[in-house]
Amino acid sequence: MNPAKTLPVLLSPRVERLHPPFPVFRLRAWHGLAVAAIVVVASGAAVAQGGPTQLSPIGVIMKWMPLLLSGFVFNIAISLMAMTLGTVVGLALGLMAVSETMPVRKVSWAVTQFFRNSPWLVLLFFAMFLVPYEFRLLGVTVPFPDWIKAVIGFSLPVMANVSEIVRGAIRSIPDGQWESAEALAFSRRQTMWMIILPQCLRRMLPPWMNLYSLVTMATVLASVVGVSEMLTLTSQVHAAEGGRPELLAPLYGFALLCFFVYCYPIDRLTRRLEHRFQVRL
Amino acid sequence: MIRTTLVAFGAMLALGAVSASADVMQDVKNRGKLVVGVKADYKPFGFRDPSGAVVGIEPDLAADVAERLGVELELVPVISANRIEFLQQGKIDLLIATMSDKPERRAVVQAIDPPYYSDSVNILAAKKANLTSWEDLNGAPLCATTGAWYDKDVAQQYVAQIVAFDGSEKPLFALQQGQCVGYLYDQTFIQGKLLEDQWKADFAMPLEGVMEAPWIIAVAQGEDEMKTFMEETTMEWMKDGTIIELEEKWGIEPTAYSKRMHEEHKGS
Repeated sequence: MNPAKTLPVLLSPRVERLHPPFPVFRLRAWHGLAVAAIVVVASGAAVAQGGPTQLSPIGVIMKWMPLLLSGFVFNIAISLMAMTLGTVVGLALGLMAVSETMPVRKVSWAVTQFFRNSPWLVLLFFAMFLVPYEFRLLGVTVPFPDWIKAVIGFSLPVMANVSEIVRGAIRSIPDGQWESAEALAFSRRQTMWMIILPQCLRRMLPPWMNLYSLVTMATVLASVVGVSEMLTLTSQVHAAEGGRPELLAPLYGFALLCFFVYCYPIDRLTRRLEHRFQVRL
Repeated sequence: MIRTTLVAFGAMLALGAVSASADVMQDVKNRGKLVVGVKADYKPFGFRDPSGAVVGIEPDLAADVAERLGVELELVPVISANRIEFLQQGKIDLLIATMSDKPERRAVVQAIDPPYYSDSVNILAAKKANLTSWEDLNGAPLCATTGAWYDKDVAQQYVAQIVAFDGSEKPLFALQQGQCVGYLYDQTFIQGKLLEDQWKADFAMPLEGVMEAPWIIAVAQGEDEMKTFMEETTMEWMKDGTIIELEEKWGIEPTAYSKRMHEEHKGS
């Protein structure tokens, strides 16, 4: 059908597409493949350089794969635990931020701002070197290994960021909800837990997942303080292979790939959820 | 909630301070386990094997100490930035981690004398160059790393023409390209390089090391029983040539220091 012959009233309204103010770069599946390809090509070039007696970079990665992946699992474990701990404390902190008592609000504000605006690495150092390696509780020695300290170190910024997410979500619920709840004789606590928070959940989910992604990628910072996570192991593997410079790119590329493969789907899912939960006014 | 957490933190810190006990030797025997800090990125002194275990000369020395004490061994990988803190905190009982002897280190931990090992300055030389003594250099170009403290001394003492590059990869590359007869660097590093097939074929370390830089084992301040025990153990190692055996086991040329110490203490 020729659109020119259609009556103008039958045409669907032309919607101006909203252009973002700056060009948006979105990672797509092929970007991951490109990264993988670069790693492989770099490895291939390295094979050409190395002598025939040497293990090729791919061979080196295969040989150390179980160790490196166990390090990666450790990163994931740290990120999950830090996220859990940080979310629980952050939720409390976020609720305190909307408390009706002024001092409680002030305390929450101070704690949130302090931990939100401190470098993650500094907080990690703080946790690493100030928390003792073991402590005695009623005569029993409880060891406090490095990974627990790392979890504490990472949960501090998570806590502060979750607090802001919670506060923001609660504030974004229209006042009408509070007023209607009051009219129906809900107490403040009931309103919060039965009416406001359930509505907040889906608003909080995308930024929360985003934060998780960031925490996962930040866990490699623990290598600076000597936790045996993936990046530490990668550099130790590099040393064990005689520090050959041509192994640098493939080994660290492998670490990069692991994190990409893990974080990319989270990013995609976040975007989909954001799209789905978009606030419609 | 936050206040409770802070109080809990404070309590933990206080309790932690209490838990640092005075006698490490007694602690080791009570728990039946010796905790030793070693390097995990310094081949062949301490490095990872594919199973993830830390192996090498220093882990073997640590195992020997544990055996002498009749306890189990736990190795903690350390890095230069945290090894002294770990020892001071009591997280490790003993530190055998390629630590050079420096006055400022002796001020904060107790060093075990005599030093168990010594690094020195040496040359990774092309076999073609046929070096047999330092005097053979005689004005020949020698690759080196910019900023190494010994570059100037070697240039003056042995009449070599230093060609300096930054880092250790560039001078090695220059050496491979034949721009110099050898690479002047830490002997332990050169020993590590010579474990690789790539270098073994055309390069060697034909000279005796010069300008020794001893490495020390350390225990925490005030742990005199442990210190005495480690001093005796080190003497035993020198007497029966343990360190030379380990150097051979891990494929490096026994150092002049190890051989000399063995000679000196053999009869005693």
